[in-house]
Amino acid sequence: MVDLALKILLHDKLRFTITVAGVAFAVALVLSQVGLFFGLLSNATLTIRHANADLWVTSHNTPNVDFAHQFPETYVNRVRSVPGVARAGNLIVTFMNITLPNGAEEGGVFYALEDFGAWNLPWTVKEGDIQDLRRGEFIFLDESAKRRLGDFATGDYREVQHNRLRIAGVSQEAKSFTTTPVSFIDFRRAQEMNPDLLKGNTSYILVKLAPGADAAAVKAELHRRLPFNDVYTSNEWATKSEAYWIKNTGIGLNAFLAVFLGVLVGVVVVAQTLYTSTMEHIKEFGTVKAIGGSNADIYRILARQATIAAVLGFLLGLGLAFAQKPAVEAMNLKLIMPASTISVVAVGTLLLCLASAMVSFRKVANVDPGLVFRS
Amino acid sequence: MAVLEARDITKTYQEGVQETTVLRGVSMDLHAGEVVTLEGPSGSGKTTLLQILGCILSPSGGDLRIQQKPVEGRSSHLAAVRRRNIGFVFQQFNLFPSLNALENVQYALNLKGLKGPAAKQEARALLDAVGLLDRAGYLPRDLSGGQKQRVAIARALACKPAVLLADEPTANLDSAVGAQILELFRDLAKRENRALLVVTHDPKVRSIADRVLQIHDGRLRP
Repeated sequence: MVDLALKILLHDKLRFTITVAGVAFAVALVLSQVGLFFGLLSNATLTIRHANADLWVTSHNTPNVDFAHQFPETYVNRVRSVPGVARAGNLIVTFMNITLPNGAEEGGVFYALEDFGAWNLPWTVKEGDIQDLRRGEFIFLDESAKRRLGDFATGDYREVQHNRLRIAGVSQEAKSFTTTPVSFIDFRRAQEMNPDLLKGNTSYILVKLAPGADAAAVKAELHRRLPFNDVYTSNEWATKSEAYWIKNTGIGLNAFLAVFLGVLVGVVVVAQTLYTSTMEHIKEFGTVKAIGGSNADIYRILARQATIAAVLGFLLGLGLAFAQKPAVEAMNLKLIMPASTISVVAVGTLLLCLASAMVSFRKVANVDPGLVFRS
Repeated sequence: MAVLEARDITKTYQEGVQETTVLRGVSMDLHAGEVVTLEGPSGSGKTTLLQILGCILSPSGGDLRIQQKPVEGRSSHLAAVRRRNIGFVFQQFNLFPSLNALENVQYALNLKGLKGPAAKQEARALLDAVGLLDRAGYLPRDLSGGQKQRVAIARALACKPAVLLADEPTANLDSAVGAQILELFRDLAKRENRALLVVTHDPKVRSIADRVLQIHDGRLRP
Protein backbone atom coordinates (compact mmCIF):
# COMPACT_ATOMS: atom_id res chain seq x y z
CA MET A 1 0.00 0.00 0.00
CA VAL A 2 1.40 3.35 -1.00
CA ASP A 3 1.67 5.53 2.11
CA LEU A 4 0.37 8.81 0.69
CA ALA A 5 -0.07 10.24 4.20
CA LEU A 6 3.62 9.88 5.07
CA LYS A 7 4.74 11.01 1.61
CA ILE A 8 2.70 14.21 1.88
CA LEU A 9 4.11 14.84 5.37
CA LEU A 10 7.69 14.32 4.27
CA HIS A 11 7.21 16.33 1.09
CA ASP A 12 7.22 19.48 3.22
CA LYS A 13 9.92 18.69 5.74
CA LEU A 14 9.90 22.11 7.41
CA ARG A 15 6.19 21.93 8.20
CA PHE A 16 6.60 18.35 9.36
CA THR A 17 9.44 19.40 11.66
CA ILE A 18 7.32 22.23 13.11
CA THR A 19 4.42 19.84 13.73
CA VAL A 20 6.59 17.27 15.49
CA ALA A 21 8.40 20.01 17.44
CA GLY A 22 5.05 21.43 18.58
CA VAL A 23 3.89 18.06 19.86
CA ALA A 24 7.29 17.42 21.46
CA PHE A 25 7.22 20.79 23.23
CA ALA A 26 3.74 20.11 24.57
CA VAL A 27 4.67 16.60 25.72
CA ALA A 28 7.89 17.82 27.38
CA LEU A 29 5.99 20.65 29.11
CA VAL A 30 3.28 18.34 30.42
CA LEU A 31 5.69 15.62 31.53
CA SER A 32 8.10 18.00 33.23
CA GLN A 33 5.33 19.92 35.03
CA VAL A 34 3.57 16.77 36.16
CA GLY A 35 6.97 15.26 37.06
CA LEU A 36 7.84 18.32 39.16
CA PHE A 37 4.42 18.17 40.80
CA PHE A 38 4.94 14.54 41.75
CA GLY A 39 8.51 15.33 42.84
CA LEU A 40 7.39 18.13 45.17
CA LEU A 41 4.57 16.03 46.56
CA SER A 42 6.90 13.14 47.20
CA ASN A 43 9.13 15.48 49.24
CA ALA A 44 6.09 16.33 51.35
CA THR A 45 5.67 12.73 52.42
CA LEU A 46 9.19 11.27 52.20
CA THR A 47 9.50 10.81 55.96
CA ILE A 48 6.03 9.27 56.27
CA ARG A 49 6.69 6.77 53.51
CA HIS A 50 10.14 5.80 54.79
CA ALA A 51 9.31 5.59 58.50
CA ASN A 52 8.83 2.04 59.67
CA ALA A 53 5.40 2.81 61.15
CA ASP A 54 1.99 1.36 60.32
CA LEU A 55 -0.04 3.99 62.16
CA TRP A 56 0.51 7.63 63.07
CA VAL A 57 -1.17 9.24 66.05
CA THR A 58 -1.39 13.00 65.59
CA SER A 59 -2.97 15.83 67.51
CA HIS A 60 -6.45 16.67 66.32
CA ASN A 61 -6.63 18.38 62.91
CA THR A 62 -2.89 18.41 62.18
CA PRO A 63 -2.82 19.42 58.51
CA ASN A 64 0.47 17.83 57.40
CA VAL A 65 3.57 16.23 58.82
CA ASP A 66 5.63 19.45 58.95
CA PHE A 67 3.00 21.57 60.72
CA ALA A 68 2.81 19.50 63.87
CA HIS A 69 0.96 20.32 67.11
CA GLN A 70 2.00 18.93 70.45
CA PHE A 71 0.26 16.69 72.93
CA PRO A 72 1.48 14.91 76.12
CA GLU A 73 4.24 12.41 75.49
CA THR A 74 2.77 10.04 78.08
CA TYR A 75 -0.02 9.15 75.66
CA VAL A 76 2.47 6.73 74.19
CA ASN A 77 1.86 4.44 77.18
CA ARG A 78 -1.82 4.23 76.36
CA VAL A 79 -0.91 3.33 72.81
CA ARG A 80 1.51 0.61 73.93
CA SER A 81 -1.23 -1.01 75.98
CA VAL A 82 -3.54 -1.52 73.02
CA PRO A 83 -3.70 -5.15 71.82
CA GLY A 84 -2.10 -5.52 68.40
CA VAL A 85 0.50 -2.81 68.95
CA ALA A 86 4.00 -4.29 68.75
CA ARG A 87 5.76 -1.07 69.69
CA ALA A 88 5.16 2.66 69.79
CA GLY A 89 7.47 5.66 70.03
CA ASN A 90 7.21 9.44 70.31
CA LEU A 91 8.29 11.63 67.44
CA ILE A 92 8.76 15.39 67.63
CA VAL A 93 8.68 17.40 64.42
CA THR A 94 9.45 21.05 65.07
CA PHE A 95 10.95 24.13 63.49
CA MET A 96 14.10 25.64 65.01
CA ASN A 97 16.57 28.23 63.83
CA ILE A 98 20.07 27.31 62.71
CA THR A 99 22.71 30.02 62.88
CA LEU A 100 25.09 30.03 59.92
CA PRO A 101 28.82 30.80 60.26
CA ASN A 102 28.19 34.26 58.80
CA GLY A 103 25.67 35.05 61.55
CA ALA A 104 22.57 34.68 59.42
CA GLU A 105 19.80 32.35 60.51
CA GLU A 106 17.98 29.68 58.55
CA GLY A 107 14.94 27.74 59.63
CA GLY A 108 15.15 23.99 59.87
CA VAL A 109 12.63 21.23 60.44
CA PHE A 110 13.85 18.81 63.10
CA TYR A 111 12.80 15.19 63.56
CA ALA A 112 13.46 14.03 67.10
CA LEU A 113 13.20 10.38 68.18
CA GLU A 114 14.54 8.27 71.02
CA ASP A 115 15.45 5.37 68.76
CA PHE A 116 16.03 6.37 65.16
CA GLY A 117 17.14 2.90 64.07
CA ALA A 118 13.85 1.30 65.14
CA TRP A 119 11.86 3.70 62.94
CA ASN A 120 14.18 3.76 59.92
CA LEU A 121 14.77 7.50 60.16
CA PRO A 122 16.84 8.74 58.42
CA TRP A 123 16.67 5.97 55.84
CA THR A 124 19.93 6.78 54.06
CA VAL A 125 22.99 7.68 56.13
CA LYS A 126 25.96 8.97 54.17
CA GLU A 127 28.33 9.57 57.09
CA GLY A 128 28.31 8.88 60.82
CA ASP A 129 26.22 6.71 63.13
CA ILE A 130 22.67 7.87 63.89
CA GLN A 131 22.86 6.29 67.37
CA ASP A 132 25.46 8.93 68.27
CA LEU A 133 22.62 11.44 68.60
CA ARG A 134 21.81 9.94 72.01
CA ARG A 135 25.33 10.60 73.34
CA GLY A 136 25.12 14.35 73.74
CA GLU A 137 24.86 17.57 71.86
CA PHE A 138 24.82 16.20 68.36
CA ILE A 139 22.86 16.74 65.19
CA PHE A 140 22.47 14.94 61.89
CA LEU A 141 22.06 17.19 58.84
CA ASP A 142 20.83 16.13 55.44
CA GLU A 143 23.15 16.64 52.51
CA SER A 144 20.45 18.59 50.66
CA ALA A 145 20.67 21.26 53.38
CA LYS A 146 23.96 22.48 51.90
CA ARG A 147 22.00 24.63 49.47
CA ARG A 148 20.53 26.59 52.38
CA LEU A 149 23.14 26.18 55.13
CA GLY A 150 26.31 26.30 53.06
CA ASP A 151 28.96 23.61 53.08
CA PHE A 152 29.39 21.47 56.22
CA ALA A 153 31.04 18.22 57.20
CA THR A 154 30.85 15.66 59.96
CA GLY A 155 32.65 17.09 63.00
CA ASP A 156 31.71 20.71 62.27
CA TYR A 157 29.67 22.68 64.78
CA ARG A 158 26.44 24.55 64.13
CA GLU A 159 24.38 26.66 66.49
CA VAL A 160 20.75 25.61 66.79
CA GLN A 161 18.40 27.67 68.91
CA HIS A 162 21.52 29.13 70.58
CA ASN A 163 22.87 25.63 71.42
CA ARG A 164 26.20 24.59 69.96
CA LEU A 165 25.78 21.17 68.37
CA ARG A 166 28.32 18.99 66.66
CA ILE A 167 27.42 17.43 63.31
CA ALA A 168 27.55 13.70 64.03
CA GLY A 169 26.71 12.61 60.53
CA VAL A 170 25.06 13.36 57.23
CA SER A 171 21.92 11.81 55.82
CA GLN A 172 20.67 11.81 52.23
CA GLU A 173 17.30 12.25 50.52
CA ALA A 174 15.55 13.68 53.58
CA LYS A 175 13.70 16.69 52.18
CA SER A 176 10.58 18.67 53.03
CA PHE A 177 7.96 20.14 50.74
CA THR A 178 8.96 23.68 51.71
CA THR A 179 12.66 22.93 50.97
CA THR A 180 13.37 23.78 54.62
CA PRO A 181 16.38 21.62 55.58
CA VAL A 182 15.51 18.41 57.43
CA SER A 183 17.70 17.56 60.44
CA PHE A 184 17.66 14.84 63.07
CA ILE A 185 18.19 15.28 66.78
CA ASP A 186 17.69 13.28 69.96
CA PHE A 187 14.17 13.44 71.42
CA ARG A 188 15.22 14.69 74.86
CA ARG A 189 17.69 17.15 73.39
CA ALA A 190 14.90 18.68 71.29
CA GLN A 191 12.71 19.06 74.40
CA GLU A 192 15.56 20.76 76.28
CA MET A 193 16.24 23.17 73.45
CA ASN A 194 12.65 24.39 73.24
CA PRO A 195 11.14 23.62 76.64
CA ASP A 196 8.28 26.10 76.42
CA LEU A 197 6.79 24.17 73.53
CA LEU A 198 8.17 20.69 73.83
CA LYS A 199 8.78 19.84 77.49
CA GLY A 200 6.68 16.77 78.29
CA ASN A 201 5.19 16.84 74.81
CA THR A 202 5.43 14.99 71.56
CA SER A 203 4.15 15.74 68.06
CA TYR A 204 3.32 12.23 66.93
CA ILE A 205 3.25 8.67 68.14
CA LEU A 206 4.55 6.14 65.66
CA VAL A 207 2.94 2.72 65.90
CA LYS A 208 4.21 -0.62 64.63
CA LEU A 209 1.57 -3.32 64.56
CA ALA A 210 2.15 -6.85 65.75
CA PRO A 211 2.23 -9.44 62.95
CA GLY A 212 -1.33 -10.36 61.95
CA ALA A 213 -2.90 -7.46 63.83
CA ASP A 214 -6.01 -5.90 62.30
CA ALA A 215 -4.99 -2.32 61.48
CA ALA A 216 -8.58 -1.06 61.38
CA ALA A 217 -9.37 -2.59 64.78
CA VAL A 218 -6.22 -1.17 66.38
CA LYS A 219 -6.91 2.18 64.83
CA ALA A 220 -10.45 2.18 66.21
CA GLU A 221 -9.24 1.23 69.67
CA LEU A 222 -6.57 3.92 69.62
CA HIS A 223 -9.17 6.45 68.65
CA ARG A 224 -11.37 5.29 71.51
CA ARG A 225 -8.55 5.65 74.03
CA LEU A 226 -7.27 8.94 72.60
CA PRO A 227 -10.48 10.76 71.66
CA PHE A 228 -8.74 14.12 71.19
CA ASN A 229 -6.18 12.76 68.75
CA ASP A 230 -6.39 11.54 65.17
CA VAL A 231 -5.08 8.17 64.02
CA TYR A 232 -4.07 7.47 60.44
CA THR A 233 -2.47 4.63 58.56
CA SER A 234 0.76 5.67 56.85
CA ASN A 235 -1.00 5.90 53.50
CA GLU A 236 -3.88 7.97 54.88
CA TRP A 237 -1.46 10.33 56.58
CA ALA A 238 0.64 10.74 53.45
CA THR A 239 -2.47 11.39 51.38
CA LYS A 240 -3.71 13.97 53.89
CA SER A 241 -0.33 15.72 53.90
CA GLU A 242 -0.24 15.80 50.10
CA ALA A 243 -3.82 17.07 49.90
CA TYR A 244 -2.93 19.95 52.21
CA TRP A 245 -0.18 21.20 49.92
CA ILE A 246 -2.25 20.69 46.79
CA LYS A 247 -5.21 22.62 48.17
CA ASN A 248 -3.40 25.34 50.08
CA THR A 249 -0.42 26.29 47.96
CA GLY A 250 -1.83 26.41 44.44
CA ILE A 251 0.63 23.73 43.34
CA GLY A 252 -2.30 21.63 42.11
CA LEU A 253 -3.74 24.55 40.16
CA ASN A 254 -0.30 25.36 38.78
CA ALA A 255 0.19 21.79 37.58
CA PHE A 256 -3.29 21.77 36.08
CA LEU A 257 -2.66 25.06 34.26
CA ALA A 258 0.70 23.82 32.94
CA VAL A 259 -0.92 20.63 31.63
CA PHE A 260 -3.77 22.66 30.13
CA LEU A 261 -1.27 25.00 28.48
CA GLY A 262 0.75 22.09 27.12
CA VAL A 263 -2.37 20.47 25.73
CA LEU A 264 -3.49 23.77 24.22
CA VAL A 265 -0.12 24.37 22.55
CA GLY A 266 -0.04 20.84 21.19
CA VAL A 267 -3.58 20.92 19.86
CA VAL A 268 -3.20 24.37 18.30
CA VAL A 269 0.12 23.51 16.61
CA VAL A 270 -1.08 20.17 15.26
CA ALA A 271 -4.50 21.46 14.23
CA GLN A 272 -2.99 24.52 12.57
CA THR A 273 -0.24 22.70 10.66
CA LEU A 274 -2.49 19.81 9.61
CA TYR A 275 -5.19 22.21 8.51
CA THR A 276 -2.76 24.34 6.52
CA SER A 277 -1.28 21.23 4.97
CA THR A 278 -4.76 19.95 4.12
CA MET A 279 -5.68 23.23 2.47
CA GLU A 280 -2.46 23.22 0.45
CA HIS A 281 -3.13 19.67 -0.70
CA ILE A 282 -6.86 20.11 -1.18
CA LYS A 283 -6.57 19.46 -4.91
CA GLU A 284 -4.76 16.20 -4.18
CA PHE A 285 -7.61 15.17 -1.90
CA GLY A 286 -9.99 16.10 -4.72
CA THR A 287 -7.95 13.84 -7.00
CA VAL A 288 -8.17 11.01 -4.47
CA LYS A 289 -11.95 11.33 -4.66
CA ALA A 290 -11.99 11.69 -8.44
CA ILE A 291 -10.01 8.50 -8.97
CA GLY A 292 -12.34 6.53 -6.73
CA GLY A 293 -11.37 7.32 -3.14
CA SER A 294 -14.03 7.97 -0.54
CA ASN A 295 -14.13 10.36 2.42
CA ALA A 296 -13.03 7.42 4.57
CA ASP A 297 -9.85 7.08 2.46
CA ILE A 298 -9.06 10.76 3.07
CA TYR A 299 -9.88 10.52 6.77
CA ARG A 300 -7.42 7.64 6.98
CA ILE A 301 -4.71 9.81 5.38
CA LEU A 302 -5.30 12.64 7.87
CA ALA A 303 -5.57 10.27 10.84
CA ARG A 304 -2.31 8.61 9.84
CA GLN A 305 -0.58 11.98 9.55
CA ALA A 306 -1.84 12.92 13.02
CA THR A 307 -0.68 9.55 14.39
CA ILE A 308 2.79 9.93 12.90
CA ALA A 309 3.10 13.45 14.36
CA ALA A 310 1.83 12.18 17.73
CA VAL A 311 4.22 9.22 17.94
CA LEU A 312 7.33 11.11 16.83
CA GLY A 313 6.42 14.19 18.89
CA PHE A 314 5.77 12.07 21.97
CA LEU A 315 9.10 10.21 21.69
CA LEU A 316 11.00 13.47 21.19
CA GLY A 317 9.10 15.13 24.05
CA LEU A 318 9.78 12.18 26.34
CA GLY A 319 13.48 12.43 25.51
CA LEU A 320 13.44 16.18 26.26
CA ALA A 321 11.69 15.60 29.59
CA PHE A 322 14.25 12.99 30.64
CA ALA A 323 17.08 15.24 29.47
CA GLN A 324 15.90 17.87 32.00
CA LYS A 325 16.31 15.50 34.91
CA PRO A 326 19.97 16.22 35.77
CA ALA A 327 19.39 19.99 35.68
CA VAL A 328 16.30 19.67 37.87
CA GLU A 329 18.09 17.43 40.34
CA ALA A 330 20.96 19.92 40.51
CA MET A 331 18.37 22.36 41.91
CA ASN A 332 17.47 19.89 44.67
CA LEU A 333 14.17 19.09 42.97
CA LYS A 334 12.88 15.85 41.60
CA LEU A 335 11.23 14.97 38.32
CA ILE A 336 9.14 11.87 38.90
CA MET A 337 7.66 10.34 35.76
CA PRO A 338 6.11 6.98 36.58
CA ALA A 339 5.29 4.58 33.74
CA SER A 340 1.57 5.10 34.34
CA THR A 341 1.91 8.86 33.78
CA ILE A 342 4.00 8.35 30.67
CA SER A 343 1.37 5.94 29.33
CA VAL A 344 -1.45 8.40 30.01
CA VAL A 345 0.48 11.22 28.28
CA ALA A 346 1.21 8.91 25.32
CA VAL A 347 -2.45 7.97 24.87
CA GLY A 348 -3.52 11.58 25.48
CA THR A 349 -1.08 12.83 22.85
CA LEU A 350 -2.44 10.42 20.28
CA LEU A 351 -6.08 11.24 21.06
CA LEU A 352 -5.47 14.99 21.01
CA CYS A 353 -3.59 14.80 17.71
CA LEU A 354 -6.46 12.81 16.22
CA ALA A 355 -8.92 15.35 17.63
CA SER A 356 -6.83 18.13 16.05
CA ALA A 357 -7.03 16.34 12.69
CA MET A 358 -10.82 16.47 12.93
CA VAL A 359 -10.67 20.18 12.09
CA SER A 360 -9.30 19.08 8.73
CA PHE A 361 -11.77 16.18 8.47
CA ARG A 362 -14.60 18.65 8.25
CA LYS A 363 -12.89 20.48 5.42
CA VAL A 364 -12.11 17.45 3.28
CA ALA A 365 -15.55 15.94 3.86
CA ASN A 366 -16.85 18.72 1.64
CA VAL A 367 -14.09 18.60 -0.98
CA ASP A 368 -15.61 18.76 -4.42
CA PRO A 369 -13.84 16.23 -6.63
CA GLY A 370 -14.85 18.50 -9.52
CA LEU A 371 -12.11 20.93 -8.49
CA VAL A 372 -9.63 18.69 -10.31
CA PHE A 373 -11.09 20.04 -13.56
CA ARG A 374 -10.21 23.59 -12.64
CA SER A 375 -6.86 25.02 -13.61
CA MET B 1 -22.85 -2.71 -26.52
CA ALA B 2 -23.40 0.61 -24.73
CA VAL B 3 -21.33 0.75 -21.54
CA LEU B 4 -22.65 4.21 -20.75
CA GLU B 5 -26.15 5.47 -21.49
CA ALA B 6 -27.29 9.00 -20.70
CA ARG B 7 -30.91 9.98 -21.24
CA ASP B 8 -32.29 13.47 -21.07
CA ILE B 9 -29.64 14.71 -18.66
CA THR B 10 -30.24 18.20 -17.26
CA LYS B 11 -28.19 20.26 -14.82
CA THR B 12 -29.28 23.47 -13.19
CA TYR B 13 -27.29 25.50 -10.68
CA GLN B 14 -28.97 27.76 -8.19
CA GLU B 15 -27.15 30.90 -7.13
CA GLY B 16 -29.32 32.88 -4.75
CA VAL B 17 -32.59 33.44 -6.53
CA GLN B 18 -31.01 32.99 -9.96
CA GLU B 19 -31.08 29.62 -11.71
CA THR B 20 -28.58 28.76 -14.42
CA THR B 21 -29.29 25.79 -16.65
CA VAL B 22 -26.08 24.30 -18.02
CA LEU B 23 -27.36 21.07 -19.58
CA ARG B 24 -30.73 20.85 -21.29
CA GLY B 25 -31.70 17.27 -21.98
CA VAL B 26 -28.51 15.58 -23.18
CA SER B 27 -28.81 11.99 -24.41
CA MET B 28 -25.89 9.92 -25.62
CA ASP B 29 -24.32 6.46 -25.53
CA LEU B 30 -20.73 5.27 -25.31
CA HIS B 31 -19.80 1.82 -26.58
CA ALA B 32 -16.92 -0.45 -25.63
CA GLY B 33 -13.88 0.16 -27.80
CA GLU B 34 -15.32 3.43 -29.15
CA VAL B 35 -13.44 6.73 -29.16
CA VAL B 36 -15.70 9.79 -29.03
CA THR B 37 -14.76 13.45 -28.83
CA LEU B 38 -16.99 16.08 -27.29
CA GLU B 39 -16.40 19.54 -28.70
CA GLY B 40 -17.89 22.87 -27.93
CA PRO B 41 -17.03 26.44 -27.01
CA SER B 42 -16.32 27.59 -23.47
CA GLY B 43 -19.44 27.60 -21.29
CA SER B 44 -21.26 25.15 -23.53
CA GLY B 45 -21.53 22.54 -20.74
CA LYS B 46 -18.71 20.15 -21.79
CA THR B 47 -17.03 19.85 -18.43
CA THR B 48 -20.33 19.66 -16.55
CA LEU B 49 -21.44 16.81 -18.80
CA LEU B 50 -18.07 15.09 -18.29
CA GLN B 51 -18.44 15.39 -14.51
CA ILE B 52 -21.93 13.91 -14.64
CA LEU B 53 -20.86 11.06 -16.91
CA GLY B 54 -17.88 10.48 -14.60
CA CYS B 55 -20.16 10.33 -11.54
CA ILE B 56 -18.56 13.36 -9.92
CA LEU B 57 -21.70 15.45 -10.17
CA SER B 58 -25.24 14.20 -9.98
CA PRO B 59 -27.63 15.52 -12.62
CA SER B 60 -30.69 17.64 -11.82
CA GLY B 61 -32.74 15.36 -14.05
CA GLY B 62 -32.47 12.46 -16.45
CA ASP B 63 -31.19 8.94 -16.28
CA LEU B 64 -27.62 7.66 -16.32
CA ARG B 65 -26.66 4.01 -16.62
CA ILE B 66 -23.16 2.56 -16.57
CA GLN B 67 -22.70 -1.09 -17.45
CA GLN B 68 -26.50 -1.32 -17.60
CA LYS B 69 -26.84 -0.30 -13.96
CA PRO B 70 -28.59 2.92 -12.95
CA VAL B 71 -26.45 5.53 -11.21
CA GLU B 72 -27.99 7.05 -8.10
CA GLY B 73 -27.29 10.53 -6.78
CA ARG B 74 -25.92 9.59 -3.36
CA SER B 75 -22.28 10.63 -3.02
CA SER B 76 -21.23 7.25 -1.59
CA HIS B 77 -22.87 5.47 -4.53
CA LEU B 78 -21.26 7.88 -7.02
CA ALA B 79 -17.84 7.22 -5.44
CA ALA B 80 -18.35 3.46 -5.66
CA VAL B 81 -19.39 3.66 -9.34
CA ARG B 82 -16.41 5.91 -10.06
CA ARG B 83 -14.05 3.47 -8.35
CA ARG B 84 -15.34 0.48 -10.35
CA ASN B 85 -16.04 1.91 -13.78
CA ILE B 86 -14.37 5.24 -14.52
CA GLY B 87 -10.82 6.29 -15.34
CA PHE B 88 -10.08 10.01 -15.54
CA VAL B 89 -7.34 11.93 -17.35
CA PHE B 90 -7.16 15.62 -16.53
CA GLN B 91 -5.85 18.68 -18.30
CA GLN B 92 -3.62 19.50 -15.31
CA PHE B 93 -2.47 15.84 -14.96
CA ASN B 94 -3.25 15.99 -11.21
CA LEU B 95 -0.53 13.56 -10.24
CA PHE B 96 0.42 13.39 -6.57
CA PRO B 97 3.63 15.45 -6.38
CA SER B 98 5.01 13.48 -3.42
CA LEU B 99 4.62 10.10 -5.17
CA ASN B 100 6.83 8.87 -7.98
CA ALA B 101 5.38 7.65 -11.28
CA LEU B 102 5.05 4.05 -10.12
CA GLU B 103 3.48 5.04 -6.80
CA ASN B 104 0.97 7.33 -8.53
CA VAL B 105 -0.34 4.38 -10.51
CA GLN B 106 -0.02 1.98 -7.61
CA TYR B 107 -1.99 4.29 -5.31
CA ALA B 108 -4.93 4.34 -7.75
CA LEU B 109 -4.82 0.55 -7.81
CA ASN B 110 -4.77 0.52 -4.00
CA LEU B 111 -7.84 2.75 -3.89
CA LYS B 112 -9.60 0.39 -6.25
CA GLY B 113 -8.87 -2.55 -3.99
CA LEU B 114 -5.68 -4.06 -5.43
CA LYS B 115 -2.94 -4.10 -2.78
CA GLY B 116 0.49 -5.51 -2.03
CA PRO B 117 2.93 -6.92 -4.62
CA ALA B 118 0.12 -7.54 -7.11
CA ALA B 119 -0.59 -3.79 -7.20
CA LYS B 120 3.08 -3.01 -7.74
CA GLN B 121 3.33 -5.54 -10.53
CA GLU B 122 0.20 -4.20 -12.21
CA ALA B 123 1.47 -0.61 -11.86
CA ARG B 124 4.71 -1.60 -13.57
CA ALA B 125 2.75 -3.26 -16.37
CA LEU B 126 0.64 -0.14 -16.86
CA LEU B 127 3.71 2.12 -16.91
CA ASP B 128 5.26 -0.26 -19.42
CA ALA B 129 2.14 0.01 -21.57
CA VAL B 130 2.55 3.79 -21.75
CA GLY B 131 6.31 3.48 -22.36
CA LEU B 132 7.43 4.96 -19.04
CA LEU B 133 8.74 2.01 -17.08
CA ASP B 134 12.23 3.50 -17.18
CA ARG B 135 10.86 6.59 -15.37
CA ALA B 136 9.03 4.61 -12.68
CA GLY B 137 11.05 6.14 -9.84
CA TYR B 138 10.77 9.75 -11.01
CA LEU B 139 8.70 12.32 -9.16
CA PRO B 140 6.25 14.30 -11.31
CA ARG B 141 8.44 17.42 -11.04
CA ASP B 142 11.19 15.54 -12.86
CA LEU B 143 8.94 14.45 -15.74
CA SER B 144 8.04 16.41 -18.88
CA GLY B 145 4.40 17.34 -19.60
CA GLY B 146 4.01 14.45 -22.01
CA GLN B 147 5.50 12.01 -19.54
CA LYS B 148 3.18 13.25 -16.79
CA GLN B 149 0.20 12.72 -19.05
CA ARG B 150 1.39 9.19 -19.83
CA VAL B 151 1.52 8.46 -16.10
CA ALA B 152 -1.97 9.93 -15.78
CA ILE B 153 -3.18 7.64 -18.58
CA ALA B 154 -1.59 4.63 -16.89
CA ARG B 155 -3.35 5.67 -13.66
CA ALA B 156 -6.68 6.04 -15.50
CA LEU B 157 -6.32 2.49 -16.81
CA ALA B 158 -5.86 1.09 -13.31
CA CYS B 159 -8.20 -1.84 -12.68
CA LYS B 160 -9.52 -1.75 -16.24
CA PRO B 161 -12.41 0.73 -16.01
CA ALA B 162 -15.16 0.39 -18.63
CA VAL B 163 -15.16 4.13 -19.37
CA LEU B 164 -12.21 6.47 -19.82
CA LEU B 165 -12.93 10.19 -19.62
CA ALA B 166 -10.35 12.76 -20.63
CA ASP B 167 -10.68 16.50 -20.06
CA GLU B 168 -8.57 18.47 -22.57
CA PRO B 169 -5.70 15.96 -22.25
CA THR B 170 -3.47 17.76 -24.74
CA ALA B 171 -4.16 21.34 -23.73
CA ASN B 172 -0.92 21.65 -21.75
CA LEU B 173 1.25 19.83 -24.30
CA ASP B 174 2.92 20.97 -27.49
CA SER B 175 1.27 19.68 -30.64
CA ALA B 176 3.79 16.91 -31.42
CA VAL B 177 3.65 15.47 -27.91
CA GLY B 178 -0.12 15.98 -27.86
CA ALA B 179 -0.48 13.94 -31.04
CA GLN B 180 1.63 11.12 -29.56
CA ILE B 181 -0.47 11.11 -26.40
CA LEU B 182 -3.72 10.96 -28.35
CA GLU B 183 -2.42 8.06 -30.47
CA LEU B 184 -1.35 6.24 -27.35
CA PHE B 185 -4.67 6.88 -25.68
CA ARG B 186 -6.58 5.69 -28.73
CA ASP B 187 -4.48 2.54 -29.12
CA LEU B 188 -4.85 1.59 -25.46
CA ALA B 189 -8.61 2.20 -25.51
CA LYS B 190 -9.03 0.09 -28.64
CA ARG B 191 -6.69 -2.68 -27.47
CA GLU B 192 -8.37 -2.93 -24.08
CA ASN B 193 -11.89 -2.42 -25.47
CA ARG B 194 -12.60 0.63 -23.32
CA ALA B 195 -15.00 3.42 -24.18
CA LEU B 196 -13.08 6.71 -24.44
CA LEU B 197 -14.67 10.16 -24.32
CA VAL B 198 -12.33 13.10 -24.88
CA VAL B 199 -13.56 16.59 -24.14
CA THR B 200 -11.66 19.14 -26.16
CA HIS B 201 -11.49 22.55 -27.77
CA ASP B 202 -8.84 21.29 -30.13
CA PRO B 203 -10.12 20.27 -33.60
CA LYS B 204 -6.98 18.15 -34.14
CA VAL B 205 -8.21 15.71 -31.51
CA ARG B 206 -10.96 14.81 -33.94
CA SER B 207 -8.41 12.78 -35.92
CA ILE B 208 -8.54 9.93 -33.39
CA ALA B 209 -12.32 9.90 -32.99
CA ASP B 210 -14.76 7.30 -34.23
CA ARG B 211 -17.51 9.79 -33.57
CA VAL B 212 -17.66 13.51 -32.82
CA LEU B 213 -20.25 15.12 -30.56
CA GLN B 214 -20.86 18.86 -30.57
CA ILE B 215 -22.39 20.64 -27.62
CA HIS B 216 -23.77 24.17 -27.63
CA ASP B 217 -25.73 25.90 -24.90
CA GLY B 218 -26.18 22.67 -23.01
CA ARG B 219 -27.58 20.69 -25.96
CA LEU B 220 -25.94 18.10 -28.17
CA ARG B 221 -26.15 18.97 -31.84
CA PRO B 222 -27.27 16.24 -34.14
